[in-house]
Formats: sequence, C-alpha cells, structure tokens
Amino acid sequence: MVALLVLPIISSDRFLIDRFGRYFLFAIFALSVDLIWGYGGMFTFGHAAFFGGGGYIVGMLTTRSGWVLPVPFWMALVAAVATSALLAVALSYFVFSGKGALRGVEFAVVTLAVAVIAERLANAGGSVSGGQNGILMQSRLGIPGVISLHRGYGFYALTGLLLVATYVGLKWFLQTRSGLIIRGIRENEDRVDLLGYEVPLIKRRTFVLSGALAGMAGALFYVHEGIVSPTAVGVSASTLVLLWVVLGGRGTLLGPIIGAIILPHLTASLSGTLLDTWLVVVGVILVLVIVVFPSGIFGFLSKARDV
Amino acid sequence: MSVLAIEGLTKSFGGFTAVDDVSLRIEPGELRGLIGSNGAGKSTLLHLIYGKLEADGGTIQFDGSDVSRLPAHVRARKGMGLVFQLTSVFDALTVEENLMLGALPKKPRTRLSVDREDVERIMALLELNDVRYRHASQLSHGRQQWLEIGMVLLTKPTLLLLDEPTSGMTRAESRHTAEMLKQLQATQATDAIVVVEHNIEFIRLVSDRVTVMHRGQVLADGTIDEVQANGEVQASFLGRLN
Repeated sequence: MVALLVLPIISSDRFLIDRFGRYFLFAIFALSVDLIWGYGGMFTFGHAAFFGGGGYIVGMLTTRSGWVLPVPFWMALVAAVATSALLAVALSYFVFSGKGALRGVEFAVVTLAVAVIAERLANAGGSVSGGQNGILMQSRLGIPGVISLHRGYGFYALTGLLLVATYVGLKWFLQTRSGLIIRGIRENEDRVDLLGYEVPLIKRRTFVLSGALAGMAGALFYVHEGIVSPTAVGVSASTLVLLWVVLGGRGTLLGPIIGAIILPHLTASLSGTLLDTWLVVVGVILVLVIVVFPSGIFGFLSKARDV
Repeated sequence: MSVLAIEGLTKSFGGFTAVDDVSLRIEPGELRGLIGSNGAGKSTLLHLIYGKLEADGGTIQFDGSDVSRLPAHVRARKGMGLVFQLTSVFDALTVEENLMLGALPKKPRTRLSVDREDVERIMALLELNDVRYRHASQLSHGRQQWLEIGMVLLTKPTLLLLDEPTSGMTRAESRHTAEMLKQLQATQATDAIVVVEHNIEFIRLVSDRVTVMHRGQVLADGTIDEVQANGEVQASFLGRLN
C-alpha cells in the first residue's frame, strides 16, 4: 500500500504522478461508498450523484455569471461539499425516516433512481448545467499567483494529503459510538433498534458524511479534469465505484483505496495497448478476481496473513 | 406499581384476531412464563409489548407510563429488553463489541464511553471471557443466545422479555440457561422477566407464575401446579403435550 502511494514520487513520469492524484480522489470516492455500503450495509447505486454533483456545483458557481457569480474556486468547493451534504440530508430523511423507512434492495432502487434523475437533469439543464456538453471548468486548483496544485506533484500532494486525512478521519469515526453502531446496523438493524438506538438518525449522519466526502472528491476531480458532463452523475459512474470497492475489499478502509488505484490504472494501461479488446480483458480479470477473492484483494490478504 | 400492566389489548390481522382483549400484570421480582400452543397469540402479544406491532385497542403501561404508541427503540430506552427467538447477535463483530453495543449510552454522543466493569461482569456471568475477541458467528448457538441475553442485560432493562430462548439449544444448554435466568432473578439484574416458551419443562424450571394463552386470549394464570391442574388448559395445551 505504501509502495502504491510512494511509487509516483520516485518516478520521474509526471503523467503517472498526475494520474495517481486522480486515483487518490477516486479512492476518497470509494471510501465514501464503502462507509455506507461496506460498513453500514446500505447498498447504493447512485453515489455518483454526489461525486459528479460536486463537480457540477463548482462548475456552475465558478463559470456562470450574475448576482454574486462567479465565485472563487475555494468558495465554490465549500459550497459543493455543503450542497452534497444537504442533498444527502434531504434524501436520507426521505428514505430512512418513519415506518416506511427503506432498506436493502428498496434503498438501492431509490439511489438508482437518484442517479438516473441526476443524469437527466444534467442533460436537460440548458445553460445552467451545459446540457449534453456539460461545463468546461475555468478554475485551477491552487492559490493564484502563490502555488499551483492543479497538475504534477502539487496535485499529487494535495490529493494524497486529502486521502490520508479521509482515511484517518474514517478510522477514527469507526471507533466512535456512531461507528460501532453503524457496523451493528449492517449486521442486524432490528437488534440495534431494540437495544434502544435511534437507527434512522445514525444512518442519516453516516449518509450525510458519505455524501459530503463524495462531493468534495468530485469537485476537485472535475476541476482537475477541466470538464464535467452528465455521465459524471449517472449510473455508470455509480457502478464503477462499486467495482473498485468490491475489488479492493468491502468493509475495510484499505480495500477501497487499493481497488480505486488498481482498477483505473489497469484500465488506463490496457486501453493504451489493447485498443479493441481492453474492456473485455478488464472484465475477465475483474470477474476472476471477484470469484477467487470474494472478500476483495485486501480481504484476501488479511485472511492470508491471519492464517 | 406493576412493571408491566396490559389492559384490554387487541390485535387483528384482517378478520383474524390474534390477541383478543388480553389483560396482564407483571410485578417486580417476577419471572413469568407465557405458554400456549402454536397460534395462541403469545408471540403477537410479545410483539405488541415491545413495539414491533401497534395494538388496535387497549393500553400498555410500562413502569408507570403509557408506552402503547411509542416506537420500539423508545420502549427499549425506557427499559424494555428483548431477546429474540432466532439468535440476533452481530455476527461480524467480536463478542466484546457485541456487549459494548449493549452497554453504550443510547442518547447521541460522540465518545465511545462504556461502563467497562459492567461489560466484564456480564461477560463473566455468561462465561464468555474465553471468547471475547472471537466473532459472534464463531460461537455455538447456545453461547450466541447467552451473548444476546448479555447484550440486552447491559442496556439495564427493567423488564427482560425472552422469546423462546431455548429454541435450538441442547438439553444441557437449556438447563444452563434456566440456571442463568434464576440467577438473574435472584441478583435482581432486572426487575422482572417474561419468558415465552413452548418448552414446558423449561418453564417448570424457571417460572414462578405461568400465563396460558389460547386463541388470542388468556386461558389461565397461576403457579405451574395450578395451571397444570386446570382442565381447560389440559384440554387445550398441556394434554396435547403429554
């Protein structure tokens, strides 16, 4: 793991360094999904709505004009995180409250619908969302005139630090009262309820934390990419992150990081060499890995170490 | 003051009345057995008491306050502890973590502060010390059931409700569970205990007083000897078992 993180530093390939910076943001996105799915048992099919949504918020606030717009990037970033959290609050109140609170497949279907709706809205948003073309970003990561964190080592350091902070923060969270309860909810929600805990509250908090994390990662990612388009908030992006989590190891903190680095790296490497068949090869590798290591790469390594 | 006072409780599903005008009182220090044949309404009554189901009519007074319309987790916070029929522990958590989930404060707080002494005491009582770092899924069925009882005891319940606790247990495990319940009663770990059971031998071992249900109603109520001598009970339930 350390090698994966340090590898780009000792490499002189600036393109590779930049690529790893992107993977680190993917890893934060994967951790946000793992928090609610791997640790909380809430299977989501629509988390790209938060990740891509973060990108859209930053894009709209920094490129559109009128009233107070455009605003500086860092202000837009805060707004993106806050908006993602608010979207998560609204959605979680709708799905986790009352007697009709959703679980399992029902919850997954609602999140799927959120991703579908988000993609449609992005497509149909006209000049606000840029329609099918999306939004071309004009911001750059960093402090203008002081430091650029948009490419190369600066970007790598920024995203690497954020990933480490996310990892440490989630590790702490999982040791708290809420962390232990959310793990209990994954195992047996009724039992947690009958021990006297307010299950919807704990689920809402975790979902909001997860949404905010995904929003932050997405905002930085799409500014770095220079463009955000409707697929960013849709089902395919939501599915991709699930693959990273499954591949690395659901319900662990290192697993999703491994998955979010290995799979995109494999995809990027193979797509350059196997022009027509890379997607098939990636698919076969993915199926094989999941069949051989059902608990993911990190899950397998942990078990092997225990043996 | 009764720990639990049920008055005229009724619950119907479509045209079928599962619990029909049931009244029941559980007094402090009591270990009450609730028996009846399949479909007698005892499980539905239990679900009504802890809040999984909402009654169509009647009231449930718990520790002096009306809890009839409160959700299950609020009743649990007020001191109602339920042990499920099908063991309901947290498989992927360790035994210690399972018990900590029982012991944690129920009101939202960030810090993970538990009464460690309490956890250790319950772990010793239930003889789970040797497996504290094992995942709950690795325990035998009987020990999982004890773990669940421990978890619920750590919530410091006023009333402990057990739904067929010996279901799936070996004879030795059932005997041990009976001893444990008697010990809980003797040490006043909880104010009162209600055990819903099919296993009449187990009820004979643990209960001071037995309530027999039949077709959604209370058929008889008294000591095990009084109930066994009751002709109606013999015809409807005990006779079938003998």
